[in-house]
Amino acid sequence: MKIRRLLAVWTSKIIGTACRLTGRQGVTLAGQLAIRIYPGILKELSQEVREKIFVVCGTNGKTTTNNLLCSAIEAEGKKVVCNHTGSNMINGVVSAFVLSTKLNGKLDADYACIEIDEASTVRILPHFAPDYMVLTNLFRDQLDRYGEIDITMDLLRKAMDMAPEMTVIVNGDDSLSAYLAMESNNDYRTYGIGGQVIEEEDTREIREGQFCKRCGEKLSYHFYHYSQLGDYECPNCGFKRPPLDFDAKNIEVGSRLSFEIEGKRISAGYRGFYNVYNILAAYAACRCAGMEVKNFQKMLDEFNPQNGRMENFRIGDTDVILNLAKNPAGFNQNISAVIQDESLKDLIIVINDNDQDGIDISWLWDVDFDRFKDANVNSITVSGLRCQDMRLRLKYVDIPSRLDSSVEGAIRERLENGIGNLYVLVNYTALFSTRNVLKKMEEEKI
Amino acid sequence: MKLTIGHLYPDLLNLYGDRGNIQCLMKRCQWRGIEAETVEFRIEDRIDFSELDIVLLGGGSDREQKLVCEKLQTIQKDFKAYVEDNGVVIAVCGGYQLLGNYYKTGSDFMEGLKLVDLYTEQGDGRLIDNVVIKSDLFDRPVVGFENHGGRTYIKKNKALGKVLYGFGNDGKSDEEGVVYKNVIGTYLHGPLLPKNPHVADYLIRNALERQTGQKISLEPLDDRQEIEANQYIIDRFVKSSGKGK
Ligand SMILES: [Zn+2]
Repeated sequence: MKIRRLLAVWTSKIIGTACRLTGRQGVTLAGQLAIRIYPGILKELSQEVREKIFVVCGTNGKTTTNNLLCSAIEAEGKKVVCNHTGSNMINGVVSAFVLSTKLNGKLDADYACIEIDEASTVRILPHFAPDYMVLTNLFRDQLDRYGEIDITMDLLRKAMDMAPEMTVIVNGDDSLSAYLAMESNNDYRTYGIGGQVIEEEDTREIREGQFCKRCGEKLSYHFYHYSQLGDYECPNCGFKRPPLDFDAKNIEVGSRLSFEIEGKRISAGYRGFYNVYNILAAYAACRCAGMEVKNFQKMLDEFNPQNGRMENFRIGDTDVILNLAKNPAGFNQNISAVIQDESLKDLIIVINDNDQDGIDISWLWDVDFDRFKDANVNSITVSGLRCQDMRLRLKYVDIPSRLDSSVEGAIRERLENGIGNLYVLVNYTALFSTRNVLKKMEEEKI
Repeated sequence: MKLTIGHLYPDLLNLYGDRGNIQCLMKRCQWRGIEAETVEFRIEDRIDFSELDIVLLGGGSDREQKLVCEKLQTIQKDFKAYVEDNGVVIAVCGGYQLLGNYYKTGSDFMEGLKLVDLYTEQGDGRLIDNVVIKSDLFDRPVVGFENHGGRTYIKKNKALGKVLYGFGNDGKSDEEGVVYKNVIGTYLHGPLLPKNPHVADYLIRNALERQTGQKISLEPLDDRQEIEANQYIIDRFVKSSGKGK
């Protein structure tokens, strides 16, 4: 054991612990120190993983999919390294490995499940060779959106080239992700929803992948699931949705989700059609790696979504659901999930425009907010730095809203005067502060 | 009275929430009892400009802009006649660049529509920021967001306004946008119109006056929320720190 490696591990462990005690996310700092003290640390630790390494990429659903995958593998009695918190750039990844080591600096893990920011893949992949990459989807994101999808696709293409032995597990319903996998030299497996689930809604949703990446022609769709996900085909070059290795059937959405896969029915106690894809991706990844996943349903029953992904709080007499919505595709899915809850509810929407959110918030106008009219909403409060923009956005679909620029103030007011069923939808930088406020209030009231 | 708004190629030029501009124009007509209709044109559709009162041309990625540009050459004459006949046009981002003579990038040359005598050349880096400008067409400043690699030079034309915060046409001249007859070209999205109801009403009024041949004064609306949102941008960016990044 090299002494510098041991030093790197210990230093990070101390930092990681100290930061957790003071309530701060020390994950990034711990990783940064470790790699500075011993640059080879990620390569060495990842080689100590006894079985397989998964990486999870894609615009939406990374954190949930990765955490589901980790829990599914743990449910089989295995030890897993995982960057649960969603710190998905190189420092966060290093820190996930380092903080999983024992005091002698050795890793004791059967599997690794690592979420990676798409832009970081080319920097991280040279350090270790994943066996599988799960690619969830590619949507137009919130950041400065000019040509961004093309840049992301180029980076992912390079990342796949760097790891030729890696099998890509891809959402076949997304033409952009499927195109990347099909054009790469990597082996790939597909998951998706083969049949039509939702009647064609009258949506003006902007669909990113409408044009064939292979030849530029406009794709024709047999049907859509949501956004650009669906059954597509190019009338010019024949590019089309690949056959699905893992095809979810007989889907039911409502207060519970359920679907059939490989002849078994799987169900989960949370909302949001998009979660079918997250669960399916985790399932497909396990199966590709040869696991039998006998405990998958048990894992889902116990799975508690964290980090503000459909996370539940109980504050006094009010049920609060916190969910991240950071781009049009995510927001439109959130609106569907709110509509699926037929009971009366209050709604708080928090919009910030900090660097990590994307300082351009014009994407708010690409979200179909008018659908809130069908959502049995008692009240909508807008908050965050750009609450003024959000209020105007609603005004122009004839939905009145209350305005409170303080998130804490907005939540307290609704806890006092609301109807006991509160949804809080937030974009990225609002997530952590809002979650802290909700945690604090939950403890106060118990 | 009925206004017809032509939205050109929303399936291709759909960056930056341009739909919000349409929604804003439609609502502000409806709230006043003015009948309004939006016609969306796809790339394969024929456009009869004589049926349109307002034309909206948005922005897209370079690839999509090129597709549109080739298509627009086939209707250049009709479009030019509409502009010269005081037809109202609001062109944003890529649409603004398309109005001019050409858009030159390092590797590519895109012929423009030659509706307004201006041109665009790619510069070093993109100009990305919130923007506030003062236009002598309006009492209240115009606010928005810009994100463009091209630098637009408007020659002898009148700018839409002076830059109070942000970059503007080329990052140097302190000017933003262009006004030519009833055409406004601008890099401001966000989208442009909801936070600038004065600009929306300017377009509606010009379109009505052209259609009826009479002076029009629009019924005032309750714009407190619009003005608060507009003022928030001014307070946050102009008063705090002077010029852009
Ligand atoms: Zn094709």
